[in-house]
Amino acid sequence: MKIQTTLAGSYPKLPTEPGDVNVRVVRNRRDQGKATDQDVAAAVRETTRRIIGIQERAGVDLVQDGCAGWDDAQTYVARGLEGVKIAGLIRYLDTNTYYRQPEIVGDVRWKAPVTADDFRAAKGMTSRPVKALLPGPYSLLRFSKDLHYRDPVKAGRAVGEALAKEARALEEAGATWLHFEEPWLGKATSADAPAIRAALAPILADRTAKTLLQVPFGTPTAIFDSIADLPWSAIGLDLVESPAAWDLLPRVPKGRGVALGLVDARNTRLEDAADVARSIARAAAARPDLEYLLSPNASLEYLPADKAEAKVVLLVEAARLAARNGG
Amino acid sequence: MSRGLWTTTVGSFPKPPQLERARQQHARGELGADALFQMERDETVKLIRRQEEIGLDILVDGELYRGDMTTYFAERMPGFAISNPVRSYGNRYYRKPIAVGPIRRTKSLTVEWWKFAQSQTKQPIKGMLTGPYTMMDWSFNEHYPSREAMAMDLAAAINEEALALQEAGAKYIQIDEPAVSVRPDELPLAVKALGRAAQGLKAKTITHICYGDFDVIYPALLDLPVDQIDLEMANSRYDLLERFKAQPFTKEIGYGVLDVHSHRVETKDEVKQGILRGLEVLKPEQMYVDPDCGLKTRTMDEAFAKLEVMVAAVREVRAERGIGA
Repeated sequence: MKIQTTLAGSYPKLPTEPGDVNVRVVRNRRDQGKATDQDVAAAVRETTRRIIGIQERAGVDLVQDGCAGWDDAQTYVARGLEGVKIAGLIRYLDTNTYYRQPEIVGDVRWKAPVTADDFRAAKGMTSRPVKALLPGPYSLLRFSKDLHYRDPVKAGRAVGEALAKEARALEEAGATWLHFEEPWLGKATSADAPAIRAALAPILADRTAKTLLQVPFGTPTAIFDSIADLPWSAIGLDLVESPAAWDLLPRVPKGRGVALGLVDARNTRLEDAADVARSIARAAAARPDLEYLLSPNASLEYLPADKAEAKVVLLVEAARLAARNGG
Repeated sequence: MSRGLWTTTVGSFPKPPQLERARQQHARGELGADALFQMERDETVKLIRRQEEIGLDILVDGELYRGDMTTYFAERMPGFAISNPVRSYGNRYYRKPIAVGPIRRTKSLTVEWWKFAQSQTKQPIKGMLTGPYTMMDWSFNEHYPSREAMAMDLAAAINEEALALQEAGAKYIQIDEPAVSVRPDELPLAVKALGRAAQGLKAKTITHICYGDFDVIYPALLDLPVDQIDLEMANSRYDLLERFKAQPFTKEIGYGVLDVHSHRVETKDEVKQGILRGLEVLKPEQMYVDPDCGLKTRTMDEAFAKLEVMVAAVREVRAERGIGA
C-alpha cells in the first residue's frame, strides 16, 4: 500500500547546525533594539526554508511550513480577526506549554488573509505539495474566552464562517490540503455536538482543497457520529495518547481518509519503525477501503530540534517499510 | 477573636536584572559558579528583607537560584538527562528533563537553601518542592514503562527531600502540582503520587495547582492528601466560589487574589472585595491569602506593588472583621 507521510502542525524553530539562522536570537536582538522587524521576517523565512528542507530530505510527501512565525496555534490567526483581542498567557492542554488566550469581545469577522502570503512563500520553496494549517474553529472557540456571544452555537458558527474565508484565501493561493487543528474535538462530550457542527460546517462547505481535522491529545469518540456526515476529507487520530481512537476506524465513512498519528510528538523516545509499520498494517487490515496518511500524533514543535528531525526520518522509514511489507 | 487570612506567596519571585545577567554570563563561561552563588545568596537576603518590609506572614526564599521548576530538580537527580532547548511559548525556551534511567535522590536538593533563607529571618520560610506528578508530566520519558512507574519513583525521591526539610525545621512544606489540572483523568495517579511524596510529614503540607477544568476535577481535587490546596482565584474572577457554595471546600485554601499574568497592579478595593467574597463561603482560619501563582514572570516593581496592595487589603479586612493574625 502507499501511505502518504505528513507532519501534524508546527515544528521546532531552532537550528541543529551551528551557523544556521536562529530566529530566537534574531527576535531577542529585535527586542533589544539591535535588529528590525524585517530581520525577524527574514529569519522566519530562512527557518521555514530549513524546516521544509528537513522534510524534503527525509522524503515527507505532504510538507508543512512549520509555522515558524507563530507564537502558538491560536493567536497568529485569531489576532487578524475582527471581534477578537488577545489576552494573557495561560497553560495549553498538554505538557508545560502556553498560549495567549483570545477573547471574543464583538462579532467575529474575517478582515483579510492572514496566512496566504506565508503559504505562497512556503509553496515557492518546494516542488512538493504543501499542507496549509489553520486553527480549527471549534478549538479556537474553546481556547478563547467568549465575552460576547455567550452561546457556543452562535459563537462557533461565527468563528467557523470567519475561518472559512481564510480557508478560501489559502485555496486561492494554491492550497490543495487544509489542516484544521482541533484538539478540543477529542475532549468534547455529546452535549457539545451542536456547537461543533455549527463551527465545522462553514469551513468544510464548498472546499476545493482536501480537509484534515487533526485531533491531538484525545479521541473524538463521543462526537464522532455527529460529525461523520460533514464533508471532511480526513481525520487525524492520536493513536499514541489515545489508543481508544483505534475503535473509530470502523466508523469512518467510506471514501474518507485517516491520518494515523503513530509517532509520539511529545516524547523524545524514538519509536521502532517496524512497530509503526505494524500499526499501519493493522489499520489497513481493519479498513482496506480507506486512504491513509502517516503523521506524528501532534505538532513536533515541543521536542528538541534534533529529536524532532529524527522523528521525521523515522516517519518516512516506517511508511516505506509498511509499503514494502504490503501492509 | 478568630484568626486567619495569613499572607504568603506561591514561591517564585522575579530575578533582579543583574542576577539574570550573571546567570547568562555563567552559562557562557564568563562568570564562575562561586561568584554566581554569592550573588544568588545576596539577592535572596534582599528579597527576604523586602518580604518582611511588605509584612507577609509566611515567607519564601524566592527561588532566585532556580531556572525552570522541573529542570532545577532534574539537574540534581541521577536518572535524568537534560534536553536541548524546547519551546515553552513565543521566544521562551527551556531545557527539559529526560528520564533515561531510574530516578533517585542522592543528595540534598533544596535543604541548604532553605536553611540559609531561614537563618535570615524570624518569620517562617516555606520549603518549596515540585511534585512528582508534575515532574513526570513535564519531562520526557525514555526509561520508564509507564507514567505511573515514573511518578512513583519521583514521589519516593521527593519524599526524602521533604522529610529532610522537615528535619531541618521547616514548618510549611509546599509540593507544587500545577500539572494536575490539565489531565483530569489522571487525578487518581496524582493523588497517589502526592500521598507518597508527603508520607510521614508532620509539617503543614501545601500544594499549588493551576487553573484547569474544575467542572471535572472538583470536588475530587479535595482527595489530594495535603493540608492546604493553593488555587488561582483572581484569574478566574472567583467563579470557583460558586462551586464551593454547592460543594464545600473542606481543606485550608491558598486563596489567590493577584493575577500574575497581568502587568496591572490591582487596587486595594478589588483585592479586598475578592477576600470578602471568599469569606462568604470560607472561614478565615481556612484562608491563606496569596497571589494566583508564582511571581517570576512579573517585573520586581510589579511584584512588590501587587504584594503591598494585597497585604494592605488583608489588614483592612482583618480590622473590619476582627480577625487576628
